[in-house]
Amino acid sequence: MIIRSSDEVPRTTVLKRFPVPRNFGVDAASRINRGRTWPAPRGATRIKRFDVYRYDPESGQNPRIDTYQVDLDDCGPMVLDVLIWIKNTVDPSLTFRRSCREGVCGSCAMNIDGTNWLACTKFNADLATPATIYPLANMRIIKDLVPDLTHLFAQHRLVEPWLRSKSPEPERERLQSPQERAQLDGLYECILCFCCTSGCPSHWWNGDRFLGPAVLLQATRWLVDSRDEATGERLDDLEDPFRLYRCHTILNCTRTCPKGLNRGKAIADVKKMPIERRS
Amino acid sequence: MSNARMRSPLGRALGLGSAKDGVEAWWRERVWAVALAPLTVWLTVSILMRADKGYAAVVAWLKMPVTTTLMTLLLVALFHHIAFGLQVVIEDYVHSRIKIPVLVGMRLGCLALGVAGLVAILKIALGA
Ligand code: SF4
Ligand code: SF4
Ligand code: FES
Repeated sequence: MIIRSSDEVPRTTVLKRFPVPRNFGVDAASRINRGRTWPAPRGATRIKRFDVYRYDPESGQNPRIDTYQVDLDDCGPMVLDVLIWIKNTVDPSLTFRRSCREGVCGSCAMNIDGTNWLACTKFNADLATPATIYPLANMRIIKDLVPDLTHLFAQHRLVEPWLRSKSPEPERERLQSPQERAQLDGLYECILCFCCTSGCPSHWWNGDRFLGPAVLLQATRWLVDSRDEATGERLDDLEDPFRLYRCHTILNCTRTCPKGLNRGKAIADVKKMPIERRS
Repeated sequence: MSNARMRSPLGRALGLGSAKDGVEAWWRERVWAVALAPLTVWLTVSILMRADKGYAAVVAWLKMPVTTTLMTLLLVALFHHIAFGLQVVIEDYVHSRIKIPVLVGMRLGCLALGVAGLVAILKIALGA
Protein backbone atom coordinates (compact mmCIF):
# COMPACT_ATOMS: atom_id res chain seq x y z
CA MET A 1 0.00 0.00 0.00
CA ILE A 2 1.35 3.42 -0.91
CA ILE A 3 0.85 5.73 2.02
CA ARG A 4 -0.32 9.21 1.12
CA SER A 5 -0.89 10.62 4.56
CA SER A 6 -0.33 9.67 8.17
CA ASP A 7 -4.06 9.29 8.85
CA GLU A 8 -4.21 6.34 6.46
CA VAL A 9 -1.83 4.23 8.51
CA PRO A 10 -3.42 1.17 10.07
CA ARG A 11 -3.87 1.39 13.81
CA THR A 12 -2.52 -2.09 14.48
CA THR A 13 0.98 -3.11 13.54
CA VAL A 14 2.31 -6.64 13.65
CA LEU A 15 5.82 -5.74 14.78
CA LYS A 16 6.21 -2.73 16.98
CA ARG A 17 9.94 -2.75 16.47
CA PHE A 18 12.44 -4.87 14.59
CA PRO A 19 13.06 -7.89 16.81
CA VAL A 20 16.61 -7.23 17.93
CA PRO A 21 17.48 -7.16 21.65
CA ARG A 22 17.14 -3.58 22.83
CA ASN A 23 20.81 -2.98 23.63
CA PHE A 24 22.26 -5.14 20.84
CA GLY A 25 25.54 -3.73 19.54
CA VAL A 26 25.12 -0.58 21.59
CA ASP A 27 28.15 1.06 23.16
CA ALA A 28 28.34 0.26 26.90
CA ALA A 29 27.96 3.93 27.83
CA SER A 30 24.77 4.25 25.77
CA ARG A 31 22.94 1.15 27.02
CA ILE A 32 19.56 1.90 28.47
CA ASN A 33 19.11 0.72 32.06
CA ARG A 34 16.00 0.40 34.18
CA GLY A 35 15.48 3.51 36.26
CA ARG A 36 13.21 4.09 39.18
CA THR A 37 9.49 3.55 39.51
CA TRP A 38 7.26 6.32 40.73
CA PRO A 39 4.03 5.03 42.31
CA ALA A 40 0.63 6.53 41.63
CA PRO A 41 -0.61 9.11 44.13
CA ARG A 42 -2.77 7.70 46.89
CA GLY A 43 -6.45 7.49 46.04
CA ALA A 44 -5.91 7.40 42.25
CA THR A 45 -8.30 5.06 40.46
CA ARG A 46 -7.63 5.37 36.72
CA ILE A 47 -3.93 4.60 36.54
CA LYS A 48 -1.82 4.19 33.39
CA ARG A 49 1.82 3.21 33.28
CA PHE A 50 4.24 5.38 31.27
CA ASP A 51 7.82 4.26 30.60
CA VAL A 52 9.85 7.38 29.90
CA TYR A 53 13.42 7.73 28.62
CA ARG A 54 15.69 9.69 30.94
CA TYR A 55 19.21 10.79 30.16
CA ASP A 56 21.50 13.47 31.47
CA PRO A 57 24.80 13.41 29.54
CA GLU A 58 26.46 15.58 32.18
CA SER A 59 25.75 13.07 34.94
CA GLY A 60 28.09 10.53 33.36
CA GLN A 61 25.43 7.86 33.88
CA ASN A 62 23.76 5.68 31.29
CA PRO A 63 20.32 6.51 29.94
CA ARG A 64 17.51 4.84 31.88
CA ILE A 65 13.80 4.16 31.64
CA ASP A 66 11.75 5.56 34.50
CA THR A 67 8.28 4.21 35.13
CA TYR A 68 5.52 6.59 36.17
CA GLN A 69 2.11 5.46 37.35
CA VAL A 70 -0.05 8.30 36.13
CA ASP A 71 -3.43 9.30 37.56
CA LEU A 72 -5.43 9.86 34.38
CA ASP A 73 -8.28 11.51 36.30
CA ASP A 74 -5.90 14.24 37.45
CA CYS A 75 -4.54 15.30 34.02
CA GLY A 76 -5.66 16.18 30.52
CA PRO A 77 -6.24 13.72 27.68
CA MET A 78 -2.97 14.19 25.77
CA VAL A 79 0.51 12.77 26.20
CA LEU A 80 1.82 16.29 26.77
CA ASP A 81 -0.68 16.68 29.62
CA VAL A 82 0.77 13.55 31.19
CA LEU A 83 4.31 14.87 30.89
CA ILE A 84 3.33 18.20 32.42
CA TRP A 85 1.48 16.36 35.20
CA ILE A 86 4.59 14.28 35.94
CA LYS A 87 6.78 17.36 36.01
CA ASN A 88 4.38 19.32 38.24
CA THR A 89 3.35 16.66 40.71
CA VAL A 90 5.84 13.80 40.66
CA ASP A 91 9.28 14.50 39.25
CA PRO A 92 10.29 18.11 38.43
CA SER A 93 13.55 16.93 36.84
CA LEU A 94 11.78 15.47 33.77
CA THR A 95 12.84 17.63 30.81
CA PHE A 96 10.98 18.15 27.54
CA ARG A 97 10.16 20.93 25.08
CA ARG A 98 6.71 22.34 24.58
CA SER A 99 5.13 25.65 23.83
CA CYS A 100 1.82 25.89 22.00
CA ARG A 101 0.23 22.64 23.24
CA GLU A 102 -1.94 22.58 20.09
CA GLY A 103 0.22 21.20 17.31
CA VAL A 104 1.50 24.40 15.72
CA CYS A 105 4.93 25.07 17.20
CA GLY A 106 6.55 21.69 16.60
CA SER A 107 8.46 21.67 19.90
CA CYS A 108 7.02 18.58 21.52
CA ALA A 109 7.92 15.99 18.85
CA MET A 110 9.01 12.71 20.42
CA ASN A 111 8.82 8.99 19.92
CA ILE A 112 5.56 7.81 21.44
CA ASP A 113 4.83 4.08 21.45
CA GLY A 114 7.39 3.62 18.70
CA THR A 115 6.09 6.36 16.39
CA ASN A 116 7.27 9.94 16.11
CA TRP A 117 4.43 12.34 16.88
CA LEU A 118 3.61 15.52 18.73
CA ALA A 119 2.93 14.82 22.40
CA CYS A 120 0.25 17.52 22.40
CA THR A 121 -1.82 15.93 19.63
CA LYS A 122 -1.57 12.31 20.75
CA PHE A 123 -4.37 10.94 22.92
CA ASN A 124 -3.38 8.84 25.93
CA ALA A 125 -6.34 6.63 25.09
CA ASP A 126 -4.59 5.57 21.85
CA LEU A 127 -1.46 4.32 23.61
CA ALA A 128 -0.49 0.83 24.65
CA THR A 129 0.03 -0.08 28.30
CA PRO A 130 2.71 0.57 29.31
CA ALA A 131 3.07 3.55 27.02
CA THR A 132 6.65 4.23 25.96
CA ILE A 133 8.05 7.73 25.50
CA TYR A 134 11.46 8.23 23.91
CA PRO A 135 13.08 11.30 22.37
CA LEU A 136 13.31 11.62 18.59
CA ALA A 137 15.69 8.97 17.29
CA ASN A 138 19.10 9.60 15.75
CA MET A 139 19.82 12.88 17.49
CA ARG A 140 22.31 13.82 20.16
CA ILE A 141 20.33 14.13 23.37
CA ILE A 142 20.67 17.31 25.40
CA LYS A 143 18.57 15.97 28.24
CA ASP A 144 15.74 13.42 28.56
CA LEU A 145 13.29 14.16 25.74
CA VAL A 146 15.15 17.16 24.33
CA PRO A 147 17.16 16.39 21.17
CA ASP A 148 19.82 18.64 19.68
CA LEU A 149 18.39 19.98 16.40
CA THR A 150 21.39 22.15 15.45
CA HIS A 151 22.36 20.10 12.40
CA LEU A 152 18.77 19.89 11.15
CA PHE A 153 18.33 23.65 11.33
CA ALA A 154 21.69 24.11 9.59
CA GLN A 155 20.42 21.86 6.80
CA HIS A 156 17.25 23.94 6.71
CA ARG A 157 19.36 27.12 6.41
CA LEU A 158 21.27 25.49 3.55
CA VAL A 159 18.24 25.48 1.24
CA GLU A 160 17.77 29.22 1.84
CA PRO A 161 14.13 29.00 2.89
CA TRP A 162 13.15 32.53 1.94
CA LEU A 163 11.99 34.33 -1.18
CA ARG A 164 14.82 34.98 -3.63
CA SER A 165 13.78 37.40 -6.31
CA LYS A 166 15.63 39.17 -9.13
CA SER A 167 12.92 41.52 -10.39
CA PRO A 168 13.22 44.98 -8.89
CA GLU A 169 11.53 45.28 -5.54
CA PRO A 170 7.83 46.02 -6.17
CA GLU A 171 6.02 48.96 -4.64
CA ARG A 172 3.34 46.70 -3.23
CA GLU A 173 2.92 43.01 -2.34
CA ARG A 174 4.13 40.39 -4.81
CA LEU A 175 0.93 39.02 -6.25
CA GLN A 176 -0.01 35.40 -6.69
CA SER A 177 -3.10 33.99 -8.39
CA PRO A 178 -5.30 31.67 -6.31
CA GLN A 179 -4.06 28.77 -8.47
CA GLU A 180 -0.43 29.68 -7.84
CA ARG A 181 -1.13 29.95 -4.16
CA ALA A 182 -2.81 26.54 -4.21
CA GLN A 183 0.50 25.00 -5.30
CA LEU A 184 1.83 25.64 -1.82
CA ASP A 185 -0.92 23.61 -0.18
CA GLY A 186 0.47 20.51 1.45
CA LEU A 187 3.87 22.20 1.74
CA TYR A 188 3.49 25.41 3.72
CA GLU A 189 1.79 23.66 6.66
CA CYS A 190 5.03 22.03 7.86
CA ILE A 191 5.88 23.07 11.41
CA LEU A 192 9.47 21.77 11.35
CA CYS A 193 8.90 19.30 14.17
CA PHE A 194 11.34 16.85 12.45
CA CYS A 195 9.22 13.79 13.27
CA CYS A 196 9.80 12.78 9.65
CA THR A 197 13.55 13.35 9.43
CA SER A 198 14.10 11.51 12.70
CA GLY A 199 12.19 8.51 11.29
CA CYS A 200 13.96 8.43 7.93
CA PRO A 201 16.43 5.51 7.56
CA SER A 202 18.36 7.34 4.85
CA HIS A 203 18.88 10.22 7.25
CA TRP A 204 20.06 7.77 9.94
CA TRP A 205 22.81 6.41 7.68
CA ASN A 206 23.75 9.56 5.76
CA GLY A 207 22.28 12.45 7.73
CA ASP A 208 25.51 14.41 7.38
CA ARG A 209 24.86 14.78 3.64
CA PHE A 210 21.26 13.76 2.94
CA LEU A 211 18.95 16.68 3.71
CA GLY A 212 16.08 14.59 5.01
CA PRO A 213 12.35 14.87 4.36
CA ALA A 214 11.56 18.01 6.41
CA VAL A 215 14.21 20.11 4.70
CA LEU A 216 13.42 18.67 1.27
CA LEU A 217 9.78 19.60 1.82
CA GLN A 218 10.86 23.16 2.60
CA ALA A 219 13.06 23.18 -0.50
CA THR A 220 10.05 22.06 -2.54
CA ARG A 221 7.94 24.78 -1.03
CA TRP A 222 10.31 27.41 -2.49
CA LEU A 223 10.83 25.57 -5.78
CA VAL A 224 7.12 25.72 -6.57
CA ASP A 225 6.48 29.22 -5.23
CA SER A 226 5.43 31.32 -8.24
CA ARG A 227 7.08 34.45 -6.76
CA ASP A 228 10.51 32.89 -6.37
CA GLU A 229 13.04 33.53 -9.12
CA ALA A 230 15.94 31.35 -7.98
CA THR A 231 14.48 28.00 -9.04
CA GLY A 232 17.51 27.17 -11.17
CA GLU A 233 20.02 27.91 -8.42
CA ARG A 234 17.88 26.01 -5.94
CA LEU A 235 17.83 22.96 -8.21
CA ASP A 236 21.60 23.20 -8.71
CA ASP A 237 22.07 23.15 -4.94
CA LEU A 238 19.74 20.18 -4.51
CA GLU A 239 20.80 17.96 -7.38
CA ASP A 240 23.25 15.70 -5.63
CA PRO A 241 23.43 11.94 -5.12
CA PHE A 242 23.32 12.52 -1.36
CA ARG A 243 21.46 15.75 -0.67
CA LEU A 244 18.37 14.74 -2.66
CA TYR A 245 18.74 11.35 -4.31
CA ARG A 246 19.60 9.51 -1.09
CA CYS A 247 15.83 9.38 -0.51
CA HIS A 248 14.79 5.82 -1.36
CA THR A 249 11.04 6.36 -1.09
CA ILE A 250 10.78 4.34 2.10
CA LEU A 251 7.90 6.67 3.08
CA ASN A 252 8.47 6.52 6.83
CA CYS A 253 8.29 10.29 6.60
CA THR A 254 4.76 10.30 5.23
CA ARG A 255 3.66 7.75 7.82
CA THR A 256 4.84 9.81 10.73
CA CYS A 257 3.94 13.40 9.84
CA PRO A 258 1.60 14.78 12.52
CA LYS A 259 0.38 17.37 10.02
CA GLY A 260 -0.54 14.65 7.50
CA LEU A 261 1.76 16.00 4.78
CA ASN A 262 2.87 13.80 1.91
CA ARG A 263 6.63 14.29 1.83
CA GLY A 264 7.10 11.21 -0.31
CA LYS A 265 5.20 12.86 -3.16
CA ALA A 266 6.87 16.25 -2.73
CA ILE A 267 10.33 14.67 -2.91
CA ALA A 268 9.38 12.49 -5.88
CA ASP A 269 8.28 15.64 -7.76
CA VAL A 270 11.56 17.40 -7.02
CA LYS A 271 13.58 14.38 -8.15
CA LYS A 272 11.95 14.70 -11.57
CA MET A 273 12.56 18.44 -11.98
CA PRO A 274 16.19 18.13 -13.14
CA ILE A 275 15.00 15.71 -15.85
CA GLU A 276 12.49 18.27 -16.99
CA ARG A 277 15.13 20.93 -17.46
CA ARG A 278 17.52 18.79 -19.43
CA SER A 279 15.22 16.90 -21.76
CA MET B 1 38.82 16.09 15.63
CA SER B 2 38.94 19.30 17.67
CA ASN B 3 39.03 21.26 14.40
CA ALA B 4 35.96 19.48 13.09
CA ARG B 5 34.11 20.54 16.24
CA MET B 6 34.95 24.21 15.74
CA ARG B 7 33.40 24.32 12.28
CA SER B 8 30.05 26.08 12.18
CA PRO B 9 26.92 23.91 11.91
CA LEU B 10 26.13 25.46 8.53
CA GLY B 11 29.66 24.79 7.30
CA ARG B 12 29.29 21.17 8.31
CA ALA B 13 25.90 20.85 6.63
CA LEU B 14 27.25 22.42 3.42
CA GLY B 15 30.20 20.03 3.38
CA LEU B 16 31.79 19.81 -0.04
CA GLY B 17 28.75 21.42 -1.67
CA SER B 18 26.35 20.04 -4.20
CA ALA B 19 27.62 17.67 -6.89
CA LYS B 20 25.14 19.39 -9.25
CA ASP B 21 24.60 15.94 -10.66
CA GLY B 22 22.85 12.77 -9.66
CA VAL B 23 19.67 12.87 -11.66
CA GLU B 24 21.24 10.78 -14.41
CA ALA B 25 22.34 8.04 -12.04
CA TRP B 26 18.89 8.05 -10.48
CA TRP B 27 17.07 7.94 -13.80
CA ARG B 28 19.42 5.26 -15.21
CA GLU B 29 18.67 3.04 -12.23
CA ARG B 30 14.97 3.24 -12.97
CA VAL B 31 15.29 2.72 -16.73
CA TRP B 32 17.42 -0.42 -16.38
CA ALA B 33 15.07 -1.80 -13.73
CA VAL B 34 12.09 -1.30 -16.04
CA ALA B 35 13.95 -2.87 -18.95
CA LEU B 36 14.86 -5.86 -16.84
CA ALA B 37 11.32 -6.68 -15.72
CA PRO B 38 9.84 -8.04 -19.03
CA LEU B 39 13.12 -9.81 -19.86
CA THR B 40 13.06 -11.63 -16.53
CA VAL B 41 9.47 -12.73 -17.08
CA TRP B 42 10.36 -13.94 -20.57
CA LEU B 43 13.36 -15.95 -19.32
CA THR B 44 11.45 -17.53 -16.44
CA VAL B 45 8.53 -18.58 -18.65
CA SER B 46 10.83 -19.88 -21.39
CA ILE B 47 12.85 -21.99 -18.98
CA LEU B 48 9.77 -23.39 -17.27
CA MET B 49 8.38 -24.37 -20.68
CA ARG B 50 11.56 -26.33 -21.40
CA ALA B 51 12.03 -27.77 -17.95
CA ASP B 52 11.59 -31.37 -19.08
CA LYS B 53 12.84 -31.10 -22.68
CA GLY B 54 16.48 -31.96 -22.02
CA TYR B 55 19.88 -30.42 -22.78
CA ALA B 56 19.76 -30.54 -26.59
CA ALA B 57 16.42 -28.74 -26.77
CA VAL B 58 17.66 -25.92 -24.55
CA VAL B 59 20.84 -25.50 -26.58
CA ALA B 60 18.82 -25.42 -29.81
CA TRP B 61 16.56 -22.80 -28.26
CA LEU B 62 19.53 -20.70 -27.18
CA LYS B 63 20.92 -20.81 -30.72
CA MET B 64 17.82 -19.10 -32.13
CA PRO B 65 18.74 -15.49 -33.09
CA VAL B 66 15.79 -14.08 -31.11
CA THR B 67 16.87 -15.94 -27.99
CA THR B 68 20.49 -14.86 -28.38
CA THR B 69 19.43 -11.24 -28.77
CA LEU B 70 17.09 -11.30 -25.79
CA MET B 71 19.65 -13.15 -23.65
CA THR B 72 22.28 -10.54 -24.51
CA LEU B 73 19.90 -7.73 -23.61
CA LEU B 74 18.98 -9.51 -20.41
CA LEU B 75 22.60 -9.91 -19.32
CA VAL B 76 23.40 -6.28 -20.07
CA ALA B 77 20.31 -5.06 -18.20
CA LEU B 78 20.85 -7.46 -15.32
CA PHE B 79 24.44 -6.47 -14.63
CA HIS B 80 23.69 -2.77 -14.99
CA HIS B 81 20.87 -3.23 -12.51
CA ILE B 82 23.10 -5.13 -10.08
CA ALA B 83 25.90 -2.57 -10.36
CA PHE B 84 23.61 0.43 -9.78
CA GLY B 85 21.78 -1.34 -6.97
CA LEU B 86 24.98 -2.32 -5.19
CA GLN B 87 26.35 1.18 -5.66
CA VAL B 88 23.40 2.58 -3.70
CA VAL B 89 23.75 -0.08 -1.01
CA ILE B 90 27.48 0.58 -0.61
CA GLU B 91 27.04 4.37 -0.55
CA ASP B 92 24.30 3.96 2.04
CA TYR B 93 26.14 1.72 4.45
CA VAL B 94 29.91 2.00 3.89
CA HIS B 95 31.31 5.12 5.49
CA SER B 96 35.00 4.34 5.85
CA ARG B 97 37.98 4.82 3.58
CA ILE B 98 37.29 1.53 1.84
CA LYS B 99 34.16 2.97 0.21
CA ILE B 100 35.80 4.07 -3.06
CA PRO B 101 37.89 0.86 -3.49
CA VAL B 102 34.80 -1.22 -2.76
CA LEU B 103 32.80 0.73 -5.34
CA VAL B 104 35.50 0.30 -7.99
CA GLY B 105 35.90 -3.40 -7.20
CA MET B 106 32.15 -3.92 -7.37
CA ARG B 107 31.94 -2.23 -10.78
CA LEU B 108 34.81 -4.31 -12.18
CA GLY B 109 33.30 -7.48 -10.73
CA CYS B 110 29.95 -6.79 -12.39
CA LEU B 111 31.70 -6.03 -15.67
CA ALA B 112 33.68 -9.29 -15.50
CA LEU B 113 30.62 -11.39 -14.69
CA GLY B 114 28.57 -9.70 -17.40
CA VAL B 115 31.26 -10.30 -20.01
CA ALA B 116 31.58 -13.92 -18.90
CA GLY B 117 27.83 -14.34 -19.43
CA LEU B 118 27.98 -12.76 -22.87
CA VAL B 119 30.88 -14.99 -23.92
CA ALA B 120 28.89 -18.04 -22.81
CA ILE B 121 25.83 -16.97 -24.79
CA LEU B 122 27.85 -16.16 -27.91
CA LYS B 123 29.78 -19.41 -27.63
CA ILE B 124 26.55 -21.37 -27.65
CA ALA B 125 25.05 -19.23 -30.41
CA LEU B 126 28.06 -19.36 -32.73
CA GLY B 127 29.53 -22.67 -31.67
CA ALA B 128 29.25 -25.76 -33.74
S1 SF4 C 1 6.89 17.51 7.22
FE1 SF4 C 1 5.51 16.94 8.90
S2 SF4 C 1 6.78 15.61 10.21
FE2 SF4 C 1 8.17 16.70 8.87
S3 SF4 C 1 8.84 18.47 10.02
FE3 SF4 C 1 7.08 19.10 8.75
S4 SF4 C 1 5.28 18.84 10.04
FE4 SF4 C 1 6.96 17.71 11.00
S1 SF4 D 1 10.65 8.63 1.51
FE1 SF4 D 1 12.73 9.47 1.45
S2 SF4 D 1 12.74 11.11 2.90
FE2 SF4 D 1 10.92 9.86 3.36
S3 SF4 D 1 11.58 8.41 4.93
FE3 SF4 D 1 11.91 7.51 2.97
S4 SF4 D 1 14.04 7.93 2.40
FE4 SF4 D 1 13.42 9.33 4.04
S1 FES E 1 3.59 21.92 22.06
FE1 FES E 1 3.58 22.95 20.12
S2 FES E 1 3.41 21.26 18.77
FE2 FES E 1 3.17 20.29 20.68
